[in-house]
Amino acid sequence: MSVNLGFAQASNDFLIAALLIYSVAVLAFAGDYAFGRPRRTAAAKAAAVPAAARLATVGAGAASGSAGAGSAVGSAESAAPAIPAGSGTGKVPAPRVGAMKAIWEAGPWVRVAAAFSALGMVAHLVAVVTRGLAVDRAPWGNMYEFITALTCVAAIFFGYIVVRYRAWTLGVFVMGAVVLALGLAETLIYTPAGPLVPALQSYWLSIHVTAMTLATGIFFVAAVLGIMYLVAERYRARVAAGKTQSGNGLIARIPSSAQLDRLTYRTVVFGFPVWTFGVIAGAIWADQAWGRYWGWDPVETWAFITWVIYAAYLHARATAGWRGARAHYIQLFGFASLITNMLVVQVFITGMHSYAGVS
Amino acid sequence: MTDTRTPQPPPESVAEEVEAAHSFSGAKEERGTGRTAEPTAASAGWLRWGWRQLTSMRTALVLLFLLAVGSIPGSVLPQQGTDPGAVQQYFASHPGLAPWLNHLGLFNVFAAPWFAAIYLLLFASLVGCVVPRTFRLVGAARTPPPRAPRNLARLPQTSSYSSTLPPEAAVDGAAAVLAGQRFRLRRSGADDRQRDGASHWVSAEKGYLREVGNLLFHLSLLGVLLSIAAGGLFGYKADKLLVEGQSFSDTTAALDEFHPGRLVSGSDLPPFSMTLNKFTANYIQSGQSRGQPSNFDADVSYTASPGAAPGTYHIRINDPLSVDSLKVYLIGHGYAPEFKVTGANGQVTYDQATPFIPANTGTFQSDGVVKAPGTATGTDLGFMGVFVPTAISVGGTLDSIFPAADNPAVSLIGYTGNLGMNSGVPQSVYQLDTTGMTKVSGSPHLLAPGQTWALPGGKGSVTFVGVKQWVSLAITYDPGQMPALVCGILALAGLLLSFFVRRRRVFVRAVPAASGSGSVVTVGGLTRSDAGGGFEEEFSELAAEIAAAEPAGHSEPEPSTKPEPSKQSEPGA
Repeated sequence: MSVNLGFAQASNDFLIAALLIYSVAVLAFAGDYAFGRPRRTAAAKAAAVPAAARLATVGAGAASGSAGAGSAVGSAESAAPAIPAGSGTGKVPAPRVGAMKAIWEAGPWVRVAAAFSALGMVAHLVAVVTRGLAVDRAPWGNMYEFITALTCVAAIFFGYIVVRYRAWTLGVFVMGAVVLALGLAETLIYTPAGPLVPALQSYWLSIHVTAMTLATGIFFVAAVLGIMYLVAERYRARVAAGKTQSGNGLIARIPSSAQLDRLTYRTVVFGFPVWTFGVIAGAIWADQAWGRYWGWDPVETWAFITWVIYAAYLHARATAGWRGARAHYIQLFGFASLITNMLVVQVFITGMHSYAGVS
Repeated sequence: MTDTRTPQPPPESVAEEVEAAHSFSGAKEERGTGRTAEPTAASAGWLRWGWRQLTSMRTALVLLFLLAVGSIPGSVLPQQGTDPGAVQQYFASHPGLAPWLNHLGLFNVFAAPWFAAIYLLLFASLVGCVVPRTFRLVGAARTPPPRAPRNLARLPQTSSYSSTLPPEAAVDGAAAVLAGQRFRLRRSGADDRQRDGASHWVSAEKGYLREVGNLLFHLSLLGVLLSIAAGGLFGYKADKLLVEGQSFSDTTAALDEFHPGRLVSGSDLPPFSMTLNKFTANYIQSGQSRGQPSNFDADVSYTASPGAAPGTYHIRINDPLSVDSLKVYLIGHGYAPEFKVTGANGQVTYDQATPFIPANTGTFQSDGVVKAPGTATGTDLGFMGVFVPTAISVGGTLDSIFPAADNPAVSLIGYTGNLGMNSGVPQSVYQLDTTGMTKVSGSPHLLAPGQTWALPGGKGSVTFVGVKQWVSLAITYDPGQMPALVCGILALAGLLLSFFVRRRRVFVRAVPAASGSGSVVTVGGLTRSDAGGGFEEEFSELAAEIAAAEPAGHSEPEPSTKPEPSKQSEPGA
């Protein structure tokens, strides 16, 4: 049960390095907004040809009739060559261009941002792994380790979204939130590497907490997307009502509200079963450790509340009158309850889950 | 949970899409929005209206919200079920507010009638939604896919190619490809001839498992609820505090606390007995986490029933003992200093290990009392004690610096008089009622193991013999546990199916080419539920495969690809 101090030190160093590299990446993402090439022209063209948009987007969110071209969320510049804006005569969509090529073509700022994000992810992952090696267990036994790991999940999941949907315009928001969370963890609740109390000495730690970490990281990304949706949708509604001119520099850069809506939904659909699994695994562990599988411990109660709210979001999205902004508010409430659980209930309310190690 | 995002096509294609999407399952069709027509007739109409309201998605959403909001007080206020002591404390510190909260059931939220009303209504709403959907799914599984729409080019996904084969043979080839991918097929028949003219078509559908998963998920939640109810009716939970060397058998008299389910009586307890041989607690000796526990181990001997072969086990946290259908858990531990009390006449009136309750779980400074009834009235001795496992004196105050018993000491305040133990009023063994007693001396007296304190005035003596440890054990039996787990896993499986399987339809229509020989084949596809994305890719691959499966001159259709919907049905249908 001793701590390997070399690995512990390496973990701390790599985490600081990851934080610095991420910060550079966020600056580069922001630089792309400030100085990068404008890209909405292609989208505007695509929107003018409804047939093209319809060909490419199956079941686009009802919120916006003028979905951008292609199912690729991200700049329409990259999507446009990927899916030919052809006629409705039945051309099978061509395969997309490779992610690397698309990033390369997106300009120097995106190139730098993507490279630094990737480098930061490697450093971050090394920090998490060396922490695990230092303490010889799953490295998410207290709040500091938990936030370190979940931000790593969020960063890697964001990397996947960039590759899958070309969504680097979200970088400044997602990676910005990651840097913020990681910075707060590093400065406010740093906990040195140490062994676990007996209650946490179980292989269920790796199962239950891993699932919760993954789900939290995924919901984290969904929450950022949801906020962006609300901004984009508000802007779209104002343009539609004639209250403002389209072509606002910043908002024109982010994906359309319909694309964000769909991407948020897919992200939640990915996170919800992971969360469900985490709750079930937690119940099995609770039965092993405490003699009951569900006891309405404050943390259990809030995990249940979070689950119910995300379930409400999934239902709301299939209910007339609740789609769009209302559903997104529900989703954000879900994330708020998750954060309440993590930062308020686990730290300030005494219960059987009081392992945060924050004092 | 069904996704019903509707594409918004230009008007001219609406007819085709509506036709193609006919009876595609979707929550929109399954659950009304709650805006049903006002009831017109008498009570039957009202009932139907009420049922429609209850089973509408809108009501389900509101109930989900109520469930979430209703759970919050259960985590903020102390709860009778988890911490009755904290509830009493709350009553003491908020004498005005607490009775009101109690009236609302807020100290026992998860057993409160209003909370039960929320989840029972939610489950009623769920059943009202799921049962008709199940019938509809069964119906859909017995109905072949709809006819191919006339103009496939207006579907969301389309592709076309020209074939050298006549229409019928071209469609045969496409049907073979679709059948090979386990689509359910419907071919244009003789009765379609009038409608379709010279063109032939095949409709294919796949992904019924999506709806199966959705239904499985919701029914499994119902199963979880029933399992919990079964556990509450037939299970029980008991607590027992056991000092090293002590034994107990599983009877209601021997247990400290016994919480039976509604349908359980004391005679249902399995007749097992257990002895605590030794309890070991290890703590980290140095470094930043000094004093943090690293291991707990309760060494016990047990017999499952009288006369059965005895067994031994090391009960640890995360490693309970299973005896028959019940489990024994280690849930707490503490110190039990051993005291020997001698009365004024020299007779030993008390000689046993006395469990002290930890006041500080970090240092295990613990509090307890010793009650030694005297041989004559008014000669009872009572002691209030503070036990410290690793004693240190800070400015004259006794404190503990480590949770292990490295340097144990007790500090006692003695009382003489009448303990009131014969009054018939039950007393707590952890509290001393000093109303009928007088203090022996002003300041507390400190004892190390083996030391004796001779009370002033020849009133007797007390010896701190040594230290033992105690454990608190939870003994539980929950028959609903395994069904709940199974239902939980089924719910997860259903969730995954309903999220990641998509229900999709593919249509192939071949019309004679304008040139006279060969045909023009159009493939169209649509899905209503593509949460995971990827139908586009699947469709383009499928369309390419259909076009590629067009061997020149191959015109003899395989008999097996003839339309036989009842035999081609999906495994999940």
